[in-house]
Amino acid sequence: MDQVRTARLTRRQFVSQMIASALLIPQRPLFALTTATQFPFVVVPPEADGIKWKHTSGKSPEKYLPESSGPGCAFLDYDNDGWMDIYLVNSGKCDFYNPNPPLRNALYRNNRDGTFTEVTEKAGVAAGGYGQGVAVGDYDNDGLPDLYVTQYGKCILYHNNGDGTFTDVTEKAGVAAPGWSSSAVWFDYDNDGLLDLFVCRFVDFSKELNKPCGIHEDGLRHYCIPTVYRPMPSWLFRNNGDGTFTDVSTESGIASQLGKAWGVVATDINNDGLMDLFVSNDTVRNFLFLNRGKGKFEEIGEVAGVAYSADGRARSGMGVDSADYDQDGFMDLFVANLDRQSYSIYRNNHDETFDDDGGETGIAAATYLMSGWGLKFFDFDNDGNLDLFLANGNPDDLIDRIHSQVTYEEPPRLFHGTGKALRNISQQSGPIFEQPISARGLAIGDFNNDGAIDVLIGVNDGAPLLLRNTASAQNHWLGIKLVGTTSNRDAIGARITYQAQDLKQSRMKVGGGSYLSSHDPRMVLGIGKRPRLDWVEIKWPLPGGKAERLTDLPIDRYITIIEGQGKWT
Amino acid sequence: MAAQVPAKTRKLAGVLGIRCSLAIDDRPAALDFIRLLSRDFGGDPDVMFVTVHAYSDLSARTALDLARLAPQSMAAHKLNAEALEEQGKWEPAELEYEEILKKHPDARGIHFLLGRLLLSRPDGGPDAPARAKQEFLKELEIDPGNADAEYILGVLAQRAQNFDEAITRFSQAAKLDQNFAEAYLGWGVALLGDKKYEEAIAPLKRAERLTPRNPDIHNALATALVRTGHKAEAEKEFAILRSLSSTNHSGAPAGDRPQ
Repeated sequence: MDQVRTARLTRRQFVSQMIASALLIPQRPLFALTTATQFPFVVVPPEADGIKWKHTSGKSPEKYLPESSGPGCAFLDYDNDGWMDIYLVNSGKCDFYNPNPPLRNALYRNNRDGTFTEVTEKAGVAAGGYGQGVAVGDYDNDGLPDLYVTQYGKCILYHNNGDGTFTDVTEKAGVAAPGWSSSAVWFDYDNDGLLDLFVCRFVDFSKELNKPCGIHEDGLRHYCIPTVYRPMPSWLFRNNGDGTFTDVSTESGIASQLGKAWGVVATDINNDGLMDLFVSNDTVRNFLFLNRGKGKFEEIGEVAGVAYSADGRARSGMGVDSADYDQDGFMDLFVANLDRQSYSIYRNNHDETFDDDGGETGIAAATYLMSGWGLKFFDFDNDGNLDLFLANGNPDDLIDRIHSQVTYEEPPRLFHGTGKALRNISQQSGPIFEQPISARGLAIGDFNNDGAIDVLIGVNDGAPLLLRNTASAQNHWLGIKLVGTTSNRDAIGARITYQAQDLKQSRMKVGGGSYLSSHDPRMVLGIGKRPRLDWVEIKWPLPGGKAERLTDLPIDRYITIIEGQGKWT
Repeated sequence: MAAQVPAKTRKLAGVLGIRCSLAIDDRPAALDFIRLLSRDFGGDPDVMFVTVHAYSDLSARTALDLARLAPQSMAAHKLNAEALEEQGKWEPAELEYEEILKKHPDARGIHFLLGRLLLSRPDGGPDAPARAKQEFLKELEIDPGNADAEYILGVLAQRAQNFDEAITRFSQAAKLDQNFAEAYLGWGVALLGDKKYEEAIAPLKRAERLTPRNPDIHNALATALVRTGHKAEAEKEFAILRSLSSTNHSGAPAGDRPQ
């Protein structure tokens, strides 16, 4: 009688062990850097930048799960002075936590000299609930960035008054999104020129629903794996254009999918001019909400090949992003996962399907034991190619006790883009890439306006890390602030193509990406050592939708391009 | 007559019988008592506990016999190597396998075990996969019918993104053992990696027939079906995949609001 054979040789334990052992091979530096000054990112200490604020998670013996997930952070220019300010999210009062003294979020104004001054109280953006993340967007097209703060409890929409203060307009706007919200993104899903709002919702959780799970072999209570909590639908709010929003979660198809959402990025995977959503879920398959137009989304994650790991299992998806990393004209996707799951970089096949290039790029091997949250594609050295920055940290603060190869705090990772591939250069990129931290949110932005994109990392139960980019000094660049007039003012969904001699590149201004965080709205186009930019073409998002090509452009400075004007200022 | 003796007494007699027979090293008698106890009290936790210890004791005694009676035999070296591997003593274990090969250079299965050891040890070094590959190739020289070696060579090739070799190795493993479900799966996945979606369907369907509850197979097969335009069939596979990975949490209905 025939017997099915699977166990004799191919027991999963053996194969996973052999894969693990191979992945633990130490990496050799690909090239040697001799002095510290050549390292691409340098930590700016609090005494230098003036940022004294710290995140407090309120870790408790009961191990309430929200303690492990924050915080987010943002670069934004709230006072429109052309310099990036910083917003930091804290935890706070909720049903399981009552800090005394109360905790607050923090807004830091950029002093234009490398230092920041806290202006939270004056601005009126302290929040006070159990904060998670922040999404910045100009939802009323008044030229002033507004703040949406996600929380466990209910979220807050702060409208920017234009005088250095904000007003809490949550109730009027109708975007409280009660429950446990994580990442959020502003994007124009219906192409009416107004930014709509997608809010990731994590599990059904409250103090009463907290499970006494997570007892491991060390006898201690650990944070639960979210399988024990019920999945929930995320939120989609349509902007009515009058300061109010309509909850369209159900009619759009978004709420038909129950997830445990951590991360979201708004992108256009099929170049149809309609913004799609890639949503990472924890212990539930990832969602790819394809925008089919007329206000409807179709969830195609499985068919597209981005829902599961290669072996068909839902992973713990956390940070996400989207970029055309291989410059083939189609947006690719990235998702970071939990340790022993590897992160995935999904190359777009141009037919609404994707292949995971984690193996080819070395990303899967480099991240096998890591847990990834904040992350972003950007050109850190302005050589013209997109690079990738990953911020990591295990959610279980006791993981070191039960796993010999996984740690709670983990160093960031840096991958250098070649235009077609990515290469791990963490080991030769300086001390920050050896420093274990409990990273969560990550925002990118050029806080000192030198054209080199800096990095801000939100640290769970710690001070944020501001990393100054020193890698771009030898290369030329052009920074562009896009201002939509017919299309949404933030120009989310715009595509910039540019040529500098032999270099031709294309970038899309995606909505969100990373984890719980929001980024410098300006786009920096690196051109390496080439002395000039030949042309830049902007394809504005719908309903504008026109393409404008500009020549005679300056380099090594920031400019503004307003939709329909055919010139820069 | 046995039915007239209370069950409690019979159970106690059986347990004591095992202990006595082991005390005087009467192994056949111990096995008889185990058989009788298992027949009459198979689900009894106390009986199972005693049985575990009895089998363990018998195993240890037989191992000692092997060490005493045939210490230089291939079986003794092999058993020793397995025990050392279990303890994570990789180098002594490797030496045991090499000892066998010195005496029996054409012994079947030893190169395979050496290769597996090289891949298993966490401190194998960067050249471990290459060294392991050589061992599997040597194994195939001795035993061209070793499907296991072909399979692991397929896994190594797959990991190196060498899809052509992976396809060859996995298909050969499947040919050598037509019930080797994971070889069919590896074959199909390698074909997917090489974008040969249509060709991947047959081995994946064979793998599915052999192990219908393996989610890896449904995911791979669904992918192959999607990429070849068989969306309805693919959706069936995704539905099976979802049911296999369900966490039994129904979740809140759409539009539901928290209290």
